[in-house]
This record gives sequence, C-alpha cells and structure tokens, in this order.
Amino acid sequence: MSEYKKAPEGLDVARTLDAKGLSCPMPLLRTKKEIGKINSGEILEVLGTDPGSRNDIPGWCARAGHEYLGEIEDEGFIRFYIKKK
Amino acid sequence: MSESIMSEKVKNFFKILCQTEWNATVSGIIVALFSILIMAWWRPWGAVGAVRNWGEWILYGVGIFSHKPGAVLFSSGSVIGIGFLAGAFISACLGNDFSFKFPPPWELVKAVIAGILMGVGAAFAGGCNVGGMYNAIGNLAANGFTMWLGLVIGVILGLKYIYWEMEHITWGTSGGKNIDFPYALKIIIGIAAFVAVIWGAYHYADMSDEYKASLSGILLISAGLGYTMQRGRWCMVQAFREPHMTGDCTLAKSVALSILVLAVGCAVLKYAVPQRGSAVAVQSVLMDAVDELDPDEIKDEDLADAVEDVVDASEQAVVAARRVLDPVNYVRGTFGWGGILGGFIFGLGAMFAGGCGTGTLWRVGEGQIKLWLVVPFFGISNAIMVHWFKAIHMEGVGPMHEGSKLGKHIYLPDALGYGGTIALIIFAMVVWYIIVDWNEDSNKLIVEM
Repeated sequence: MSEYKKAPEGLDVARTLDAKGLSCPMPLLRTKKEIGKINSGEILEVLGTDPGSRNDIPGWCARAGHEYLGEIEDEGFIRFYIKKK
Repeated sequence: MSESIMSEKVKNFFKILCQTEWNATVSGIIVALFSILIMAWWRPWGAVGAVRNWGEWILYGVGIFSHKPGAVLFSSGSVIGIGFLAGAFISACLGNDFSFKFPPPWELVKAVIAGILMGVGAAFAGGCNVGGMYNAIGNLAANGFTMWLGLVIGVILGLKYIYWEMEHITWGTSGGKNIDFPYALKIIIGIAAFVAVIWGAYHYADMSDEYKASLSGILLISAGLGYTMQRGRWCMVQAFREPHMTGDCTLAKSVALSILVLAVGCAVLKYAVPQRGSAVAVQSVLMDAVDELDPDEIKDEDLADAVEDVVDASEQAVVAARRVLDPVNYVRGTFGWGGILGGFIFGLGAMFAGGCGTGTLWRVGEGQIKLWLVVPFFGISNAIMVHWFKAIHMEGVGPMHEGSKLGKHIYLPDALGYGGTIALIIFAMVVWYIIVDWNEDSNKLIVEM
C-alpha cells in the first residue's frame, strides 16, 4: 500500500484516460495507445480501478522508457501519472 | 520502548500477510506447495470442475438437464471452487482490493464470449489451464504439454484480437463504475469469511461419512490457494500473454518454476507412497498370518467370519491407499489434437476474459463484475460440452480413455519411467524459462500493437 510511488499534487496534465472498471489487460493496453496521442514531455493521467495496474503501469513505463511519476489514491479509484519520454 | 518495537513488528507482519502484494516467484512456489498438499490429501485441484458443477445446476434449474447434479456442498470439485473463492475474497477484503468494479458494456459482451470459449476449450483439453495444463504436467500427464502448446497459440491470437478491437470498436468501451466500501468494513467481513471457512472445515470433519469428512481439508487447502493467488495476483494467462505484449516474463518464469516443483513433488508421492503405505504393509503381514491358518479348521463360525471380515477390510484399505495417488488422476485422453485445440480455444477465451480459470475465480473474489459474468457461461458451456462428449464417447471409455478421439492417454512414467519424466519436465520448463528471459531483452517475440 505505501510502497507504491506517490505522485506530487497539482501536475499539469495534457490528457486524461478514464479506464475505470476495466480489468487486465485493458488498462495497460489503453494506456499504451493513449500515450501515442500526446507529445514528448507531456503528462498522461490514467484513472483506474484494477489493482493490477499499480504494478503493470510502472513496469511498462520502465520498459518503454517513459517516466512514471506515481499514483494518487482518490475516492474509489486511483490516478496514475506518466510523463512521455 | 520495546513495546513499540514489538507492536511495530506485529503490524508489519500483518501488513506482509494481508496487505502487500506477494512476489510472483514466492506465490508460485506456495501454489505448488498447496497443490502437492491437496494431492496428498486425496486429489489434485482444478477450477473447471467447480464451475461445471454450478453450470449443471443452472441447466437443471431451467429444465435443460434432467439429471440432478452432484450436491454443491458435497462434490469435491465444487468445494474446491467454494474454498478458492472464499480464500480470494478474504485476501481481497483484508488487502483493500475488494470493491464492485462494473466494467463498460462491451467488456460484458466479451465476458459472455469468453465464458463460452473457455467452457468449450476445457472440454476438448480435458480441463482448464489448471486441470488440463498446470496440474496435468504436474501429475506427469503428457496431455499437459499439448494444452500448453494450444494455450501459447490461443493467447497470441487473442492478443492480436485485442489490438484489432482497440482500433475498431468504440461502442460500449467507456463508462465503468466502481462501488467501494470503507476499509474497516472490509476487514470485518474478511475476518468473518475466514471464521466461516474454519467453521465449515470443522463441520465437514465432524461428519461420519469418510468422504464428506475429507472435504474439510479440501476446503482449507483450496482457500489457501485462492488467498495466495489473489495476494500475489498470480495469473497463468498473464504468464502466456505478457512476453508477447510487453516482454515482461516474471509470471512466465514463476509458472515454469511452480510446475517444476509440483511435478517433482507429485512424482515423489506417486512413486513412493503406494509402496510404503501402511495399508500395504498391514495387508502383507495379515495375509502371511492367515496363510498359516486353515479356514476349514476354524470351528467357531463367528471367528471364521471375523477373519474373513478382517481380510476384506485390509484389501479395501489397500485399494483406497492405491487410489489416493492414483496415477490416472488428471491424465486425460487428449495428448493429441484435442489438447492443442482445447488449449487454443481456452487461451483465446482467457484473453477475452482477462483471466484464466483461476484468474477468473480470484478476480470474482475481488469484485470484478466482468468475471462474475464469465463464470456462469463458462460453467454452462462446459457442462453441455462435457455431457455431449460423454454421450458420444469423445474421450473414449473408462479411466484409461480407451478409444479417445481427442488424443492419447499417456501417463509419462509408463513411457519414460519416473526419472525420464522428471528429466523431460525439467528440460521443458528450463527451455520455457530461457526463451521468455531472452525475449525480455531481445523483444523478438513481441506482437506489435
């Protein structure tokens, strides 16, 4: 629970992807697709409910070279922040 | 001073046990351990057995099936499913993973398709990914390898479908909802479920019927499996999918290792226990003693009857001891096209579902409504297929599946000996491990979006 990286508040988000209710592997695949729609250096915010995303997203970021900024727990879902390389 | 360190340690212990996600490799080893334990108890575990039983009840309830299915609380397959769900539910509650996660409508359509495909695939392969592949290889059955191959192909095709779908289908792809509860409430419900499982196990154990009493251990070990798999998010379809999707091979390696440990454990049980079992020893001593006696010399009728009863009982005990680790368990007549086709259809279905047989069940335990819809369709389609296959003797007759049209029934030690079998399984799992590890860096097997 507390070993997941926490993102700072108030990030300047270029685009938001609503992946709430989606389960494995859709949140990650949607993220992969959505990141293609923003520019390098911009931040993508992903809203999700699948606990698996808390590992899948940072893991994929590390592999793909994007910067994983962390997550913020909200009411009944989680916000993930990714900075495109 | 020492009290606050102690309370810190106790808190940390429960955090690791109930809240932190367990590492995949460790989870795989624990799953293999529980799998060996339940085999030693008296039977290997599986997922489709439970789901099919519940599917049969649905079909019986609407009048399509006329034959009353086995009791939900007293069929071992169903009890395994109940225990597994309970364990996963307990883990999800204590770890704050449980909430009702409603997916967008298109995901529900995929859930129905997934259930049907998985039910059909499991019928051809003689089991789902657990009974047809994991516990099949684990039980030293050749058909485990054919389903493995089918799964690889089915998952790759499923991944290509998902990519196609993301480009071309927009209807019903957003609008998911989450209904959550306070964590404190989840902890209370989780503990209540835990108490219920323990109570259930004691209740079974108190029953006079030996079979029913044995369900106590089945329930507990299955709950342990469900707990471990949810806690570690251990999913076999992820093992087959991730190397082709992101290159990540953590799950694949852990499944390979888990199968290896399971197979070795199973080989030890199946080879050694029937030979050393006390029932066999007692019987041989008894037969020696009885040989000395001439039954016709026994004037006392009661004594003669008693001797006969004792001999009968010891013979039954030997049969029971041998049946416990019956090599026939989980060896199916599907080593051939049946296993491959079954694995292919099942793998494709698992990609639609987003979980394999067990992944589906533990996701049910954490409130993923999409998977709640997969289960009944999985059960109904598998019940129909299995009943049809039985009627046409698709998998042959008898426990040795003589005349199976789906493939051969091969218990590997019969063909290669126990040593050869273990060598083969080690070799296969090591090759799998090395290939996915190589792919993680070379990315040669990744299916592009």
